[in-house]
Formats: sequence, C-alpha cells, structure tokens
Amino acid sequence: MNNEENKNVSLPWFGVPKILPYAKPYKKIIIRMVLLGILSSAIDSIYPLFNRYALDHFVAGKTLQGILPFVLLYMVVLAVQVADNYISVYYGGKVEMNIDRDLRNAAFNHLQTLSFSYFNQNNVGYVHARVMSDTGKIGELIAWRMMDLVWSGSYILGVLAVMVMMNLRLALYVLALVPVAVILIIFFQKKLIVLNRRIRETNSKITGNFNEGITGARAVKTLVVEDRIQEDFERDTEDMRKTSVHAVRYSALFSATVTMMSAFALAIVLWRGGKLTMENVIQIGTLSVFMSYALGMMEPIQNIIGTFSGIIAIQVNIERFSRLMETESDVADTPEVIEKYGDTFHPKKENWEELHGDVEFKDVSFMYPDGNEYVLEHFNLNVPHGTNVAIVGETGAGKSTLVNLVCRFFEPTMGDVLIDGRSARERSQLWLHSNIGYVLQTPHLFSGTVRENLQYGKPDAGDEEIWEALKLVSADGIVKRMEKGLDSEVGEGGDMLSTGEKQLLSFARAILADPRILVLDEATSSIDTVTERAIQDAISVVIKGRTSFVIAHRLSTIVGADVILVVRDGKIIERGKHEELLKAHGYYYELYTRQYEEMVFSGKV
Amino acid sequence: MGQVIIMDKNLQFKTRMDMVLFFLKGCIRYFVLAIIFACMVSLFDLINPKIIGFTVDSIIGDEGSKLPGVMQAIIDAAGGAQYLKSHLPVVSAIVIAVALCGAASRFLFQYFNARGAERLLKNMRDELFSHIMHLPFTWHAENHTGDIIQRCTSDVEQVKRFLSEQLTSLFRVGILLVLALYFMMGIHPGLTLIAAAFLPVIVLYSLFFHNKIGDAFENADVQEGKLSAIAQENLTGVRVVRAFGREMYERTRFEEQNKKYTAMWVRLMQLLSGFWATSDLFSGLQIMLVTIFGAVFCVRGSMTAGDYIAFVSYNAMLTWPVRMLGRVISEMSKAGISIDRIRYIMNSKVEEDKPNAVEPPMGQPGGGDIVFDHVSYTYENGTQKVLDDVSFTIKAGSTVGILGGTGSGKSTLMYLLDRLYQLPEDGGRITLGGVDIADIKASWLRENVGMVLQEPFLFSRTLAENIRIARKGADMGQIRQAARIASLDDTIQSFSEGYATFVGERGVTLSGGQKQRTAIAQMLIRKPPIMVFDDSLSAVDAETDAKIRHALKEGTDGSTVILIAHRITTLMNADNIIVLDRGRISEQGTHEELLKNGGIYRKIYDLQTNG
Repeated sequence: MNNEENKNVSLPWFGVPKILPYAKPYKKIIIRMVLLGILSSAIDSIYPLFNRYALDHFVAGKTLQGILPFVLLYMVVLAVQVADNYISVYYGGKVEMNIDRDLRNAAFNHLQTLSFSYFNQNNVGYVHARVMSDTGKIGELIAWRMMDLVWSGSYILGVLAVMVMMNLRLALYVLALVPVAVILIIFFQKKLIVLNRRIRETNSKITGNFNEGITGARAVKTLVVEDRIQEDFERDTEDMRKTSVHAVRYSALFSATVTMMSAFALAIVLWRGGKLTMENVIQIGTLSVFMSYALGMMEPIQNIIGTFSGIIAIQVNIERFSRLMETESDVADTPEVIEKYGDTFHPKKENWEELHGDVEFKDVSFMYPDGNEYVLEHFNLNVPHGTNVAIVGETGAGKSTLVNLVCRFFEPTMGDVLIDGRSARERSQLWLHSNIGYVLQTPHLFSGTVRENLQYGKPDAGDEEIWEALKLVSADGIVKRMEKGLDSEVGEGGDMLSTGEKQLLSFARAILADPRILVLDEATSSIDTVTERAIQDAISVVIKGRTSFVIAHRLSTIVGADVILVVRDGKIIERGKHEELLKAHGYYYELYTRQYEEMVFSGKV
Repeated sequence: MGQVIIMDKNLQFKTRMDMVLFFLKGCIRYFVLAIIFACMVSLFDLINPKIIGFTVDSIIGDEGSKLPGVMQAIIDAAGGAQYLKSHLPVVSAIVIAVALCGAASRFLFQYFNARGAERLLKNMRDELFSHIMHLPFTWHAENHTGDIIQRCTSDVEQVKRFLSEQLTSLFRVGILLVLALYFMMGIHPGLTLIAAAFLPVIVLYSLFFHNKIGDAFENADVQEGKLSAIAQENLTGVRVVRAFGREMYERTRFEEQNKKYTAMWVRLMQLLSGFWATSDLFSGLQIMLVTIFGAVFCVRGSMTAGDYIAFVSYNAMLTWPVRMLGRVISEMSKAGISIDRIRYIMNSKVEEDKPNAVEPPMGQPGGGDIVFDHVSYTYENGTQKVLDDVSFTIKAGSTVGILGGTGSGKSTLMYLLDRLYQLPEDGGRITLGGVDIADIKASWLRENVGMVLQEPFLFSRTLAENIRIARKGADMGQIRQAARIASLDDTIQSFSEGYATFVGERGVTLSGGQKQRTAIAQMLIRKPPIMVFDDSLSAVDAETDAKIRHALKEGTDGSTVILIAHRITTLMNADNIIVLDRGRISEQGTHEELLKNGGIYRKIYDLQTNG
C-alpha cells in the first residue's frame, strides 16, 4: 500500500471533477481571479509597446511632443497592474487556504465516522498524510496551477496577437521555434519528474534513518551497533548525493536549453527583423518589441508545461483523497437510527434510552473484514447486566474479538449482538459508546494536562470526582507526586509518564465516565504486582452493578469471574466458571496449572 | 562512503563560522568553481545587449561604432560593420555563439554548485548522525526526538540552501550588478544614476517584507504543527475517541485549530501579495523612468536608439536579482538560527572512555563477577534518590532475579551497569571482574553485557537482519536457532515472507510480545557473557513465558543472567533474588529463603498464586 506514492494514476479530466464541489463555494472569487489574471497578462504583453512608441515616436522622430500623455498613460497602466496583481495574488491565496481548510475538515470529519477495520488496514502515517498533505496539494492545484495557466496562457495569446498585428511574417518566424521548445521542455520535464521523485524517496528514507537512530538510541547503544548503523546511513546519504547531482545535470541542461531557445528566437528576430528594418518595412521600435518577446516567451511556455505535469502529478493526491471520502464505514447507523438518535456529530440525546448492560450474543458468526476465516461461528452467550466475563488465552489468540463486537467496533457477519434485548444496530454507535468504559492494552493519553485527559470521558467532571476516581485505582499518589498535580502536562501521547502510570490514568479515565459496560483489555500487564493488586481491588468495586469484560494475562486475577471464555486460535473453545473449567481438565486447566504447577512441582513451595 | 573525517568528536565549535568551515570541507573547491562560472554567466549575459545595440546603431542604422575593444575585435574579425550589413545571419550567429557560451557557463555553474551543495549536505548529515549516535543516552533522554529530528532535517536544509543557493546567488548578483552598472555607465551615466537610485530602495523593501514574511511563516509553521499533532493524536487514539464517543469534541478541536492555521496563512498571503505588488510598483516605476528618460536623452542626442535598447535590456536584467538580495539578507538571520541549532547538537559532549580504558578479560574464574558497591543515583533534575546505597554481588555464571515495584529503580540499576547512565563520582562503584566499569571501554562493556529492554526497539529492516544486527556474520542457521529459543521461529514461519519479512512503517507491525521475543533472539545470537532481561517477557502470556524460560536455559548456558520481572514464576529459579523497594534492597536470597522471610516477596508470591 505504501508504494502508492509512486503509482501513476490517471483519472478522467485529471480528477478535477472530483474536487469541483469543494471549489464551488468560491466560484465567484475564482471567476474574478481569472478575469484579473487575464487583464494582468494582457498588460504584461503590451508593456513593450510603450518602448516601441518611445523608440519610433520620440527617438526616431527626435521630438518630445506628447511625452506627457505618454507618461500619464504609462502610469495608469502600471497602477492598474499593480492593483490587479495585489488583488489576484491575495484572492489566490485566500481560495487556496479556504479550500485546503475545507478539504482537511472534510477528511478529518469523515475519518471520525469510519470503523476500526479501516484503521486496522491503514497505518496512522498513511492516514495522517491524507488529511495533512494531500489536501494542501489539491488546494494548490485549484488556486495556483490554474492561475499559472491563466497567466501564462493569456500572456502568450496576448504576445501572439500583438506580434501578428505588427508583422505577420516576422511573427511566423518566431513562432516556428515554439513547437521545438515545447518538445524539448516536455522531454526534460519528464526526466526530472522521475529523478525528483527518486530524490524525495531517498530523502524521506534519510529522515526515517534519523528518526530510527534517535528513537532507537538506547537499542543502538546496548547492541553496540553505532558503526553499523552509521555505515548504512552513509550509504543512503551517498545515494542521495549521487542522485541529486545526476538530477542537477538534467535540470541545468534544461535551463541552459531554455536560454538557448531564447537566444535562437533573438537571433531570428535580429536576422529577419534586421533585414525588414533595413528595408524600412518595420521601424526600430517594432524590432525592439519583437526582441523583448523573443526573450520573454520561453518562460510562460515552460510554465504551462510545468503546470500540466503538476496537474498530472496531483492526480495521485486527488485519487487518494477521494478514495478516503468514498470509503464507507462498515459499521454504519441506518437512516432510521440516525433519525431517532442522531449521528456522530449531532446526537439527539433526548431520545437516548438508559443502558442497563444486558449483552447477548445471538447466533453470532464473525469474520474480520480483512480475514478469510470465521473466528466465531454460531456463537451464543447471554451476559445479564452486572456479569463479569473474563477472556483468557495465548497472545494473539484473538481475545479482543468479542470485545470489539460488544463495543460495536465491528459488526457480526451473521447473527446479532443484543444490548438490553435489542439489536445493537437499532441504536446509534454514539449511544453505545457513551455508555462503555474501555481500558486498552496499550494505554493512550492525549497531550494536555492530567485533568484534561481524565475528563475525556466526562467533560464536566469536577476535581473532587476526579480525585475519587484516581483513588479508586490507586493513582492518586502518582498525580500528587507530580509537580502541578492535575494540571501537570502528560506530554505527547503521555510520554512523560511510565507505561504503568499511563495505564492507571487511563483506568481512572474509564471509571470516571461511570460506564454501564466496562472493558479491560490486558490492562494489567505492565503494572507491578502491588499496584496491580490495588487495581484488582478497585476493579471488584467498580464492576459491581456493571457488565464487564476483562482480558487478562494472569489467570490468578480472573478466578472470581462469572464466566471465563477460553480462546485459542481465534476461537472460543471453552467457557464456564473457574471451578467448572478446572474440573473439565481441558485447555484452561492446562493453562492454569502450568502457571501454578511450576511453583509447586519445582519443589519450591 | 566512510568519508566522515575522523577527528576529536568533542571538538567544540566556538563560532558559527567554525562549524560552517568544518562542514564545508571537501566542498570549497566546487563552490569556488561555481563562483567562477557564475562570473562568466554574468559576463556573457551582458555581451548580447551590446551586440544588439551595435546592430541597431551601426548595422541597421549608420551610427559609428563605439564598442569596447574586445567586442570591436570580434566584429572586425567577422568582417566589420559594412560587411555585416549585408550579412545579418553572421550577427545572429555571433548572438547564438555568445548565448551558447553563456548557457555552457550556466550549466557548469549549476553543476559545480550542486556538487558542492550535495557534498555539503552529506557532510552535515553524516557528521550529525555520527555525533548523535555517540551522544550519551542521558542526552537522548533529555532532548525531544521531534526537536532533534527537525534540527537534522529542516535546519540542515536551511543551512544548505543558504550556503549553496543564497550565498552563491549573492555573489552572482553582486558580480552582475557591478558589471551591468559598469556597462550602463558606459552607455549613459545620467540614466544609470536614475536606474541605480532604485536599487537600494528595492533591497530595503524586500528586506523589510522578507523579515515580516519570515516571521509569518514561522507562526504558520507553529500552527500547522499543532494541527498536525491533533490529527496525529486523533488517529493514534482512535480507539479511545470511539470508546468514549468523543468524535464531536475531536471535530471541534480540529476545526478550531484548522481555522487558526488558515487565518495565519491568509495573513501570510496578504503580506506576500503586498510584497509582490510593491515589487511590481517599484520595478514598474523604474522601468518607466528609464523608458521616459531614455527617450528624452535620445531626443537630446546623448544616446542612440541602439544604446537605448541595450540599456533597457541591462536594466531588465537587474530588477529580479536585486530583489533576491533582500531575500538573501533576511534569510541570513534564519540561517544563523539554524546553524546555532545544529551547533547545539555538534557541541554536545559525546560519550568518552577514559584515556587508558581497559578491556578486562572475562574468561577466568571470578573474571565476570559483578559488584555493586554502595551505589546511589539521582536523576539529573530529580531530588529523590532513585537508588540509595545499593550493594550486592553477582557471581559469574549465576542467575539473579530482581523484583521491584514501578519506580523501584530496577531498570536504573541495569542502565548504570551498561553505562547508559553515568554513575557520579560520589555514587559508589560498580565493578566487573574487579575493574571499575568507569575504567572499561564502553563498547567493550556493552558487547559483554547484553540487554533486552522492556520496550524493545526494532529497526526497519527484515526480521533476519534485526536478529543478526549485532552479529554481522551470523548465518541463517544461527538466526533460526536463536529465534527458536526465543519461541519466535514458528511465528516467523507463519509470515508469508518468513525471515525476510520487513519490520516497521513499511512492513508488518509486530505485537509487543513478538517484539520482545525478537529482542531476545537478537541477544541470544550474540551470546554475551552477561545477559540482562529487563522485564522483557512482560508482554508475552504466561504460557509463552514458560516456554521461553525453559528454552533459555539452553541458550544462556554459562552466561551470567540477570532477570528483572514482575512474575514470580519468571524469577523463582534464580540463584539469588534481589527485592528492590524504593531504591533500596529490602531483601535478597533464594526463592525458599525469601518465602520463609515473609517479606514483600512472600506477599507478592501469595498474590500471584492465590489471586
């Protein structure tokens, strides 16, 4: 998926129709921009005419008569162009930024509605780039690429018109060069696109190397591989150097060629135009206008071609952006549900029923969207409210599946999950999520203060409540030890705290939201035994009256659960209470006794 | 490759210039060549208007020639004005020939400039990377990753751009300016004064705007960073957002920041369009005045038509480069800041061994005993002691378990042993085989003390390369053997690309337990005499934990093993178990002894067995 950066995409009409809706609100300002752009180019193309007039009228005529109106006209034209350029550049920027903003909002908001399977299949860096960088490139396309076309295109047309009017023959001589220039420029552009892409790739590889060397500093040191890593690094920088120098050969040749083309144009004007001047067919002023055009024409041609290759390159961004926008969540509320309960951004809380916490799996079969095997088949389980369900099994055995279904992060492929006796699909996701507390295996905190993080599940929680929740999970000590207490910053992703501390805080965060259903996903793995014990105690308090699902490593912690589900290879192979499962002498028995036996039979007890 | 100039790594760069010169090693000749060709570009660019002027006056018109000597010589060689009158194509050929020389010089200028610039970029990156690799771990802990990376990427780019683009263009513009003004003076001093009067104005206003624009850019960057962070956090925390049903809050947060960021840019665009409009105004005015006064002077007879055309061409050449001048000056301050930011890294002290550091042999009896002798340690900014007078001995070849709560100082002990943290003078001593580790070469120490960290780091390479990273020569058999002991072979075999599976951003993401097991294999393949497992089985389940421990017995044969863990089962077979509590040893002994003791160990044991 990540090689996509290099894929050549071709969309109908370069993908522009896909983004037109985002340009629509700015239609008026865009039209004004185009008109102003044309005016500005028209002025640019007639400037040399002032020169011509000066040469033919004043210089050749040896008179200063009429210089005042000449100066006045010149000043008016100049003033108009300055004002014109100011406005159109400002408009361009405004349109670009506004479209950027709208695209970013659209992408971000759409992401908020997508289900977990999307995030499981696309890594964060990839999705982040869709929101932050594709959008910027598309905005640039609409604002500047288009303006470039308008500017350069109308300049060339203007020049053409003036040349033809002044002297058709000479104009044709100059124009004969244009196709040659176009072909050469296209050739170089193509080459350079490929080379520049390679440079960008190597460059991002080098950035990645820096990142790795710095974040992995501890590993590099403990493994004593500094020299090895350095060697690899230098190979990449050398690669970059060579590619860049290679690319510069082309780009330098490119600019040399363009100047040569101008020189050829100038030479033709001197030769043919000089002759015409000597024969008095044209005046010196006209000759000088032609010379100015000969020198100034190559740049706009280069611009137009550059714009086209830019548009071709941007298709990739448009394609990725529109694919994101077209991705539909595979967990979506039906229109009826949205009608009654509201959607993610417009909840109708007044219609929300209270959630009791009865959960029932009814003939549920489930296959992950990116999988090809059922991990649950015709699974039935009734979890009356207040029940404590424990899920155990080996790492990677698929313990999170059930929890994902309860939380409706995924929907059953067949069958139904009932919440309080009604299919989960009959009520909105937000309604369900507002009633669930979830502590993840890898705790995630947001940058900000401890308070802001704890209030995440309950924005209006007061300090007293917060401290209570902290005390419940024995995290009050941690926060008290921090310099600013609840106002202490936790750092990006909570990286100023240890894993254990993060876990305790995310636990407190879940408790504070006072959920009806509580999910603890291996939340106790990195906490020392004493703290863990304290949490265990807290858990037994908070799960009272709540439906809870606990995924745990240590079997000793879930002995008291109402139901234990034993998962192996993604499937639930045993279920029951601790004693029942032990009696059954099955896989659970094996798991449990292995932990216990080791102590007993090693003769150390 | 390998061209990094080996020198004293702790070289201090007292001034910006010192460091720039250091990085410029090996590039200077390219830059000198670039500047020479830049001069030639300007020279050739300036010849053609002269020829055109001459053509208009003396070939098309009938004015006498007043070309400077060299050019007159060229014209004479071509046959003189009279001859050229009937042979205009020869003039065209001369124009093309001059342009060709100009184009060739331009090509060579860009080429040599790029050679220099890319060499410079490589130098900077290589030196920075190497320096960072050798900075002490405490430095890494104190400095934010994002910040360091920014210094190594955008600041480096900024310096490169400044030295290779802006500084060379400063030279180029300077030369062009002098030459063009010289030629213009030759045509008409009065008109030159009028044209030149604008130059300082152009430089000043572009300096003014570029400063403002630079600030605005920085502000916009800051806002963009914030916006990007919000998106990043939302995506990494997507499960939390969903689980708490806080999509609306996230949306508002993002949209608000997005609005701020956009507003910054619109303001920036206002500045930019103001700048461009002002530029247009001034250069337009200048060109207008030259046109008008040129015409006036022509009418009065102090200039010819050809002169006029040549003068206008010279003038047109000046406006753009002079605008650049303002930019270069304002960039200078930015580049200065970037240089300082890089200098901060380059001037940080790298790890250094004592001048007569040793490599004590590990083989003999007692050669690998580890002794912690009254070790105390406080973090740089901390007030509380993380370790408080800790003393113990680990016999070579024995297995030691360390148990302790969060923040009890377990990991600190190991970081001190590996010299990731430096033990202060008054913090006691750690000896290895009787030698103070402060006197041992750091690389030797770390090669002999292998460490598996709690949150292991994998490199973005294949699994096989990751496992053998510290032992280059290892073959596939050895890799698989190590993986088997770490209970990883089966897992790897189940990946479609097996050991060639790429890890990291561009490849598979391994679970915490899989990472830990890879790190274990990474160490086993090295077979260091001392192996430290720092809570390195925490993310695997009990069953796999047991499997690995059984297998480890085979892999760690003869090595000293230090196990740090929460699980009693992981530790209980150790020859000696040390229980740490808030930086102090609260008890130590064998499993049975500690059980009898009835201390913390007993308590934890009971918790873990009885639930």
